[in-house]
Amino acid sequence: MTAGFKARAAEALADPVLKVAVERTAGTAETKRAAAVAAFEDFEAARTRAAAIKDHVIAHLGHYLEQFEANAIAAGAQVHWAETADAACEIVLDICRRAGAKSVARSKSMLGEEIGLPHALAEAGIERVETDLAEHIIQLAGERPSHIVWPAMHKTREQVSTLFRARHAEPHAEETIAAMAQSARRHLRAAMLGADVGISGANFLLADSGAVCTVTNEGNAELSVVPPRVHIVTAGIEKLVPSMDHAVHLLRMLARSATGATLTQYTTFYTGPKRGADLDGPEEMHIVLIDNGRTKMRDEGLAEMLRCIRCGACMNHCVVFRQIGGHAYGGTYPGPMGAVLTPALDGLAASRDLPQACTMNGKCQEVCPVRIPLPTLLRGWREKSWREGLEPASTRGAVRLWAWAARQPWLYRFGSRLAVRGMRLFGGKWITSMPLASGWTRHRDLPAPQGRTFMEQYRERRR
Amino acid sequence: MSAREAILRRLGGNAGDVADEARALLRAPERPPVDPAALAETFAERLAAPSVAASLERVPVAQQLPAAVARHLAQHVPMPGLYLPPDAWLQALDWRGIALDAAVTVDGGAALAVATAAVAETGSLVLDTSPTAPMLPNFLALHHLVVVRHETLVAHLEDIPAPLEQPRARYWITGVSGTTDIEGQYVRGAHGPRFLHVLLLG
Ligand code: SF4
Repeated sequence: MTAGFKARAAEALADPVLKVAVERTAGTAETKRAAAVAAFEDFEAARTRAAAIKDHVIAHLGHYLEQFEANAIAAGAQVHWAETADAACEIVLDICRRAGAKSVARSKSMLGEEIGLPHALAEAGIERVETDLAEHIIQLAGERPSHIVWPAMHKTREQVSTLFRARHAEPHAEETIAAMAQSARRHLRAAMLGADVGISGANFLLADSGAVCTVTNEGNAELSVVPPRVHIVTAGIEKLVPSMDHAVHLLRMLARSATGATLTQYTTFYTGPKRGADLDGPEEMHIVLIDNGRTKMRDEGLAEMLRCIRCGACMNHCVVFRQIGGHAYGGTYPGPMGAVLTPALDGLAASRDLPQACTMNGKCQEVCPVRIPLPTLLRGWREKSWREGLEPASTRGAVRLWAWAARQPWLYRFGSRLAVRGMRLFGGKWITSMPLASGWTRHRDLPAPQGRTFMEQYRERRR
Repeated sequence: MSAREAILRRLGGNAGDVADEARALLRAPERPPVDPAALAETFAERLAAPSVAASLERVPVAQQLPAAVARHLAQHVPMPGLYLPPDAWLQALDWRGIALDAAVTVDGGAALAVATAAVAETGSLVLDTSPTAPMLPNFLALHHLVVVRHETLVAHLEDIPAPLEQPRARYWITGVSGTTDIEGQYVRGAHGPRFLHVLLLG
């Protein structure tokens, strides 16, 4: 996959349509978030509190998981535990089989993607209806999500239009985004209501009541899980919060950071299955609590990453993501948070390029509602990659050579003087090509050094 | 060892007073200020915000509710038929003159619901499921009408009273079913309601 990232990034950079698509959505999200944050007094203090709430939960995760489990069971839900992605899929498939399910309605959840649930359902021969509009688009296209909030961000309206015309029975007559959304509405409605099982993720799990909270703009989570006889929730163990009021604080942060709204349109708390005389709701509710590397992350220096509430702000504000989009990252999660998570989930050897693909401008950390020090965590992966000898020999050699020279001041000064003067041979103000620098100059020019090295100038001024 | 035991063992026990620490995290939360003397005004402002985009009508007494609903349907809903939940209080009002449907007309109709509470901070409507309050009609109708009693208005999300008995689902509605999934452009009526009308009673 290492060679894969560079190839995918190069391909993405060469695709002008992709850049247009990513800019349209990420640009809008950036503007809306900025307005929402400006309207919220004390947003900085609120971020600190949000981080503290998540840290508290992660420090006492065992306690809260047990409390949640007891309350969920008391409300009539069935709670399952899975250590790995495969075990989680097996539990879900088993529930589906016992329910005799031919089709499932699925409401978008990144955890479902992480554990490979779409694939597992397909292997088991169970029809899957993706009810989130973006997930529907990428299901039709046979692709993977390219963003955690807008999975079809990489698609332009023209591409969506072509897809719907080919696949919907009654496609849109007009070439507008509104008409396309209507086409999907017609197409999805019947399939959604006829499903045997509804599967959702969870944005929060409330320990003191056993409630599962989902958040959607479309209301598709509710439409996916209320009509079927069985509701399955797949949730990462880090989704716990102590109580409703803790959830409220995080919900305020999530909506503002993701879409710039004060609250997401539909916020639902499900506590157990249908009560005796209720008029609708599932007869069975199953909650699958999934570790899949989270306890290991907590113990191995990535506890802060477990604060993540999946708002997508870090990628919307990332200069690298905005250039290459989400697919180039190759993992379930793209952007800065993905570059931290993917090495933990898929192994560093397969993804060591991701932590390198970062300019360290710190923008992600600045916008993260739970103050995750993403650049620091990325640096941690870079160091680990070095320690484990995963860097290619040429890089290791070059860095060793540099480190040796840097320890000999006379040699270092001599070398930099030579370089500054030498580089001027390749261009007056801008260098458009130079040996050993093609990785840079192929896509942009390099400013040619003007004058002398810093040390030379420093000494001159001191005189 | 079961997966449960393995995960809990890796997480280990807890030191200190967890409950005290959890409570301390909620002291004086940062949140948008709401003037307690102007709850209805703030609520109305929030409903008008673009991300909520709900219409609002104030209805002085319950007896006037059916007439207000009839007017709204006549003006905005081309398809006849309103779904009324089997709520004793609602059913006791005089709905003659409005075509009622036993279920929501797929993809066109209107559904009415009574909110448990409403929140000035966000313009949210709080709904609970019960034997007299199904959930699905509120997600299937194209036009969603919600009755809010003035005395149930609260300032902040934290002020929503906890239910006496935990309903199967409690849901906060803060706008209509919308999507920004195609090029980030906002479209109303993705799956469920495209229009939300609030009737503030009292
Ligand atoms: S890392 Fe922070 S900004 Fe990025 S998705 Fe998670 S919570 Fe949002």
